[in-house]
Amino acid sequence: MPETLILTVNGEACTVTVAPRTQLAEVLRDHLDLTGTHLGCEQGVCGACTVIMNGKPVRSCITYAHTCDGAVIETIEGHRGDPVMDQLRDAFSRHHALQCGFCTPGMLATAHDIVTRFDAADEATIRHELSGNLCRCTGYVGIVGAISEVIAAKGATSAPPAPLRNVKPFTPFDPVEAAAVPAASAAPKGSVSTDGGWTVVKRSFALNHAPDAVWALFRDPARVAPCIPGATVDSLDAENFSGAVEIRFGPIRARFGGRGTYANDDNARAGSIRGEGNDKLGKSTVRGELRYAIAAGTNPQTSRAEVELRFEIDGMLAQFNRPELVTGFVNYILAQFAANCDAVLSGGEAGPAKRLSVFAMLWAVLKARFSR
Amino acid sequence: MKPSPFEISRPGTLDAAREALRDEAHGTKVISGGQSLGPMLNLRLARPSRLVDVTGLPGLAEIRKTETHVEIGAAVTHARIEDGEVPDPIPGMLRHVAAGIAYRAVRNRGTIGGSLCHADPAADWVTAMIALDAVLVVRGGGGAREIPMSGFMLGAYRTAMKDDEILTTVRIPRYSDQARWGYYKICRKVGEFADAIAAFVADPERRTCRVVFGSTSGAPFVSTELARQIATTGAAVPLDAVKSVLRDSGLNLSEVKIHQLAIAHSRAVTEALSDA
Repeated sequence: MPETLILTVNGEACTVTVAPRTQLAEVLRDHLDLTGTHLGCEQGVCGACTVIMNGKPVRSCITYAHTCDGAVIETIEGHRGDPVMDQLRDAFSRHHALQCGFCTPGMLATAHDIVTRFDAADEATIRHELSGNLCRCTGYVGIVGAISEVIAAKGATSAPPAPLRNVKPFTPFDPVEAAAVPAASAAPKGSVSTDGGWTVVKRSFALNHAPDAVWALFRDPARVAPCIPGATVDSLDAENFSGAVEIRFGPIRARFGGRGTYANDDNARAGSIRGEGNDKLGKSTVRGELRYAIAAGTNPQTSRAEVELRFEIDGMLAQFNRPELVTGFVNYILAQFAANCDAVLSGGEAGPAKRLSVFAMLWAVLKARFSR
Repeated sequence: MKPSPFEISRPGTLDAAREALRDEAHGTKVISGGQSLGPMLNLRLARPSRLVDVTGLPGLAEIRKTETHVEIGAAVTHARIEDGEVPDPIPGMLRHVAAGIAYRAVRNRGTIGGSLCHADPAADWVTAMIALDAVLVVRGGGGAREIPMSGFMLGAYRTAMKDDEILTTVRIPRYSDQARWGYYKICRKVGEFADAIAAFVADPERRTCRVVFGSTSGAPFVSTELARQIATTGAAVPLDAVKSVLRDSGLNLSEVKIHQLAIAHSRAVTEALSDA
């Protein structure tokens, strides 16, 4: 439902009616024709879209319409009569602090904030403060020089005070652990590595049933798929499958639909699944291969599953492909998968399909894998 | 890039906010500063049908100091903490941690409560607040309840909060003037997600000592073993011994991660114990 915002942009009152998902950058560029604000990464990293809102720099790409009602905004087209911005523009020009100019609107907004907050700043401090604005021409020397000059012109000499710290002598003591801290749950053993563009996750986990029974489950996609959190199978024959996996990982939601092939070797109690799928709404694709083998466990009534998952993700999800998140996600999924397998082997049912997850990769995998 | 369409509600009371959350629990998400959720919305990794903005709720932007605690409203921004608006529960630590989060433009909007609830393993507050033994006050259907920070984060993006609960306040105990702290994070680039985070807080008067490692694959790892060793000796633990604790942690960390965490830890402890 569109909402009407009243805001002051570059000293002028404006009224715009936009949908709630509208970014401040879009309000400025598409509704007010102020195209000096540039959009680069649109995920808060590059700093190109930085504008001054209520006196403070903000990312206009991740600031949405609903927070802008009543706001006072200055863009690169504005700052009229602002002596700090006049000095910065002049200094940027003299220091040749812009090349292609794409980052410049954001650089000037951040520079204005640095000059305002710091009475004195050395080059390291300026570079630190400027780290959220990327210049792909790499023209930082001129930019830092320009900011430095404007700060120096303030004529202040005092550096910002260092945070207070206790310097009383430290007396060793016998600590009382107030609250019990929960021990880390035992994660499955394994490793995560990369091989070219592929991520390779190896995991080994125990199941409380004999290898024959576990293998009978693993070799049958129709039975094992329901053990995979979020997986559904649409079609299945002796070699091929198609289906989907729904992923929930924190705020992330994705539904990967796809197809693939699988093969099992009953003698070796090993098999593999290859597949690929895509998340249409999120524009991500994932390709993966899952290999699995079932071995005897520590006693005849238990088994050990060795799993190797190789996957490659393209698209939006790849932006979040941080190894530690992949690891955390894999561990979480495997724990649920193993619990579901044990439940099914004990004659019960897999828990309610939990859509977890994150990484499509796994996804792919899992999905693929167990999924049929 | 444009997020999937969503409706936004800006409830004026906590009860109204919880009502809005309960309404459609699965397609509804709380938004505070939006500096982590925003990128996910733009990339369409998150596609909630409705957002509930909690930044305008009464009390959420307030800061209080009591006899025993410092209380920070969940919607207080990192920038306000960086600028010293929050009384120190321990001299300088909150400002130091806040100043190291992302970039100033992000800190101007991102909030401490949003960061805690988002529960990214590489985020600063989840590690720092465990080290400081903070307690989170959340409001749900049955009224307010307190969740100790040490049990709050269950894993990456997972917390002990229920779907219709809202974090209102972060309560941090006030430390004595004998307390020491150290906080160090390893980032490849300033403001990026950290590769390793280490926090250390020790207070001889309260007889508490915490050693916390962040940016693992899930919730921060707390080592009572290292804490005891440092508190009783007043000295840092050799790097190899720190590494073996991390290897035995059950976290299945890579050797690279173990090295980064151990280095971050030893720098944090050295900083905390130095008399300079």
